[in-house]
Amino acid sequence: MRLNDDIELLDGLPIAFIRSINSLVVADLHLGYEGVMAKSGVFAPKVNSKRIIEELGKAIELTKAQDIIVVGDIKSDFSTVIQDEFNELYDLIEFAKKQRVSITLIKGNHDNFVERYKDSFKLKVYNQEAMLGFYYFFHGEEVPDIKGKGARMLIMGHEHPCIAITNSVGRREKLRCFLHGSYGKIPLLVIPAMNYFSSGTAVNAEPKHSLLAPVLKEGADIDKMHAIAVGFGSTIDFGEVGKLRGL
Amino acid sequence: MITYSDKPFPDSESLGVLNPYVREWFTKNFSELTPPQKFAFKLISERKNVLITAPTGSGKTMSGFTSIISKLFDYSLDGKLEDKIYCLYVSPLRALNNDVFKNLTRPLNEVYELIKKDKGVKIIKENIKQVTIGVRTGDTTQEERRKMLLKPPNILVTTPESLAILINSEKFVENMKNLEYVITDEIHELANNKRGVHLSLSVARLEEIIGKRLTKIGLGATLHPIDEAAKFLVGYIDGKPDDCVIVDASWSKKLDVVAMSPVKDLIYTEDDVIDKKTYDEINGIIKKAKSTLIFTNTRSGTERVVFNLKKRFGYGEDIAAHHGSLSRESRLEVEELLKKGSLKCVVSSTSLELGVDVGAIENVVQLGSPKSVTRAVQRIGRAGHSFKSIAKGEMIALNRDDLIECTVMLDAALKRHLDSFQVPQNALDVLAQHIIGMSLTKKWNVDDAYSVVRNTYAYHALDNKDFMGLVNYLAGAYVGLESRRVYGKIWYDENERMFGRRGKLAKVIYMLNLGTIPDEVAVNVYQGSKWIGNIEEEFLAKLKVGDIFTLGGRLYQFESAKGMRAQVTEAKASAPTIPPWFSEQLPLSYELADEIGKFREEFSSILKSHIKKKKLKLLSLTAKIPEEAGKYLDKLPADANAKDAIYGYFMEQLLFAKEVPSNKLLLIEATSDPESDKTHVVFHSLYGRRINDALSRALGIALAEIYDTDVGIMVNDNGFVLSVEEEIKLNDKTIMSMISDIEAQGLEKLLKRNIRRTELMKRRFRHVAARSFMILKNYKGWKISVGRQQVNSQILLKAAEEIDPDFPVIKETYREIFNEVMDLPRAEKILSDLKDGKLKFKVIKTPLPSPFSHSMLTFGHADVILMKERHKYLQKLHKLVLQRISEG
Repeated sequence: MRLNDDIELLDGLPIAFIRSINSLVVADLHLGYEGVMAKSGVFAPKVNSKRIIEELGKAIELTKAQDIIVVGDIKSDFSTVIQDEFNELYDLIEFAKKQRVSITLIKGNHDNFVERYKDSFKLKVYNQEAMLGFYYFFHGEEVPDIKGKGARMLIMGHEHPCIAITNSVGRREKLRCFLHGSYGKIPLLVIPAMNYFSSGTAVNAEPKHSLLAPVLKEGADIDKMHAIAVGFGSTIDFGEVGKLRGL
Repeated sequence: MITYSDKPFPDSESLGVLNPYVREWFTKNFSELTPPQKFAFKLISERKNVLITAPTGSGKTMSGFTSIISKLFDYSLDGKLEDKIYCLYVSPLRALNNDVFKNLTRPLNEVYELIKKDKGVKIIKENIKQVTIGVRTGDTTQEERRKMLLKPPNILVTTPESLAILINSEKFVENMKNLEYVITDEIHELANNKRGVHLSLSVARLEEIIGKRLTKIGLGATLHPIDEAAKFLVGYIDGKPDDCVIVDASWSKKLDVVAMSPVKDLIYTEDDVIDKKTYDEINGIIKKAKSTLIFTNTRSGTERVVFNLKKRFGYGEDIAAHHGSLSRESRLEVEELLKKGSLKCVVSSTSLELGVDVGAIENVVQLGSPKSVTRAVQRIGRAGHSFKSIAKGEMIALNRDDLIECTVMLDAALKRHLDSFQVPQNALDVLAQHIIGMSLTKKWNVDDAYSVVRNTYAYHALDNKDFMGLVNYLAGAYVGLESRRVYGKIWYDENERMFGRRGKLAKVIYMLNLGTIPDEVAVNVYQGSKWIGNIEEEFLAKLKVGDIFTLGGRLYQFESAKGMRAQVTEAKASAPTIPPWFSEQLPLSYELADEIGKFREEFSSILKSHIKKKKLKLLSLTAKIPEEAGKYLDKLPADANAKDAIYGYFMEQLLFAKEVPSNKLLLIEATSDPESDKTHVVFHSLYGRRINDALSRALGIALAEIYDTDVGIMVNDNGFVLSVEEEIKLNDKTIMSMISDIEAQGLEKLLKRNIRRTELMKRRFRHVAARSFMILKNYKGWKISVGRQQVNSQILLKAAEEIDPDFPVIKETYREIFNEVMDLPRAEKILSDLKDGKLKFKVIKTPLPSPFSHSMLTFGHADVILMKERHKYLQKLHKLVLQRISEG
């Protein structure tokens, strides 16, 4: 789905493509997720990293992008880099190398200590925020400082947005979604979590104050933002979040 | 081979096998042998495997133990008794363990006193030791455990869970080198569930460890089929059941039972009057008897009955409640008072139907159908303490269906037609635990391990593919090599085909997480962000979005659930769609359902010919029961009110709908709701809820597909209702095409899709994942709350499905749902019988729901002691029906 003449939301993928900087934008990969769970005694089969690489592969093939911008939370553990994270990070870097794309990380709250590997992995790492092309990228757990940067759009992750829909059997199901609206006068795009397991924040069910990202609690009017759902091979604009409440 | 012993040995022969001191003690204390003892002493002394079923008060425990005690004193007198365990006694109840410990301590002491008196100082010279007994359960303190390890008792009393821990302790296994006997008590409580399966694997492993077969003795209340219970007890050797002698003394106690209706007319009598009559009836029984035990089917019912008896008749401390929600202390206190005979009456839900000794009970009253013949016999069998007394029981019905159920149930009990139990077959989660357990003690060749497992009844037919699937899962084959150190529960070498322990922590993890009983907790219910109260998890699992239920006296509509939190809104409706005890209520057994179907067949054909003969078209409210019908009813254990009520019920159905559904005819009734525009398709499928659960889902989907509409489903034991908003035309052809539709897609596949996203699936998967150690509740100092487990298990389910839809943990979840929650095999059979014409069905159209469907349509309103709402609606439906058949 085309968002504007520079940005494309790739059909069925939680990935945005920005033509002017020839980059894919993704968020909240949480590599090593199953490993972190296993540390507390929950042994999930590993599918997250594999799925992410598959989806990125598709996106690269489609767009011929040369860079992947991760707007935060490439990994899972707060306190350290666990073995599984290292392994999966390694796999991702190897994959990128083969595809001849670079990886740029805007650090998120889960990305502590990732600098350790930035040289060996040739990872471009920004702390919290970065202007790349006309766009201001940030993870989202803090209010961004955008004064004088002349950003054409703010792009963030962190929230893991999705919409909850009650299906025909009467169960609530969640669909990952992009959120598109504005923060003050500047357009704002929230990227859905790429993590396979993430159930995320149901933005049409949660009250505003229980959202995660401060910019969505204040500044942006969540009810006026469009929810653009991703799933079952397509990406569809469901309209304003406010109108999806009580679905 | 399984054989039956039906000729008791003469008492002299039975006593003749005993050690003289034990014999002296026995004849001093008992004037005669009880029925099971007349078989057991001799058989056990011959080292036969024996299954003994007998009612309470028949000296069951001593029938199992006497010969063993005798043997142990033989050893002692020969100076050969070591500080080792010779006999294991396992029961599922800690309370029962404590009872047995107490009850055996006395004879052991007294026999030893006799020996001391006789032998004097020779006792020391000849090293004649006391035979000792000890208890080891979850309650046993560290100190006691240490002592027990240093000086183990000769008889160890324990639970299945504690035994599973013990067999992994090298020191304890050393103490069991001399083990000869295993007694499994309350076998009827173990044979039908995963706890029992767990135990049978422990015993098979124990036999492998000590390198010999043990003499196995099973004790229990009656159960059917008893030969399957015997196979469960003794296990298999080389693919064939081991030998076992069955002593079925369960019918040695006579039954004196009757089904009662508190009033003649259960429909039009005012609630208050029915309540009053019911309590008057109960009070009369209590007054007449020395002590009375009342069973209700739910905990809330128990509380209500106690409250009412106290309020209405001024009872005080002489009446008490006993149920699972009460603290252990207060339950023990009630048990003690009962034994002492200082209680006039105890009201219980299920907690007292088990083996704890309750002393002399003169009378048992059952309120409402207990849903199974076996359970009825067990409960009523609590009356009459000695094997010579008669077990006297009254069953008071709460509505007309209930009344028929109770009557037929008691008739079946008198005819000894029991319903059957099933041992869960090939449960993969329990087996997973034991494979880990096996890996802790030594290195195993996989084929050797497989054959040990196949020595149990529950796994004798286990597919090698499933076994290897588990080994691979446990070895962590579902993750990459680098992660197996963390994911793997066992070490496994594919080339050598050997498995064993992985890591130092394996044993600790195993001990902290083993067991089969799932963690269940209360679910918090919120309206918006406001906390309303708690509901049980099992209850939540049964809720569908839109269901209306009561909580704290108000009605709420279920909206959604996440983890241990349920979201509701205020309900606008006037009645719940699902009763609060829904998760507590046990499903009607298939065999009993079938008996009721037979009764419907026989009784309705008598009435049909009566109607034909008399050319009856209208119902006469004053007519007496015709002679033929009266004769038929007189053979049943029901009182006069009950007979009148049953007769009236059948006549109404026949005059209104011309047909009575039965075990030979599945009546399908298309009708409309007098209170809404809905069309109800009522399937009078009297097969019990487990089968109806499966049938209703499948037929509901088929109906929805044919008419392209939403279908509402209501299920109970007597049938189910599919409701649609519009009018539909239904005929034989539609039903046939629905059945073919289901067959084409495959019932199992269809249901799998249907339940995949339900709470039921999510919760059962969590239980299975925890039993399979895919979720460790207790890991490296972490304790995972149930809520966390639930959220995590959804992630696990998603991931496991992704890598393999046949993943062992998923496979077991479906197996459990299809065989334990539902009864898929029988549902399948019914569908194919319908298709082949082996089972007839008939589609009828009625302007109003026929009398036999009323209970299904008002199901949500039902409760133990009548609820006003339900009664009002019932009366309304009934009035409309009566208008038609009495005015023409």
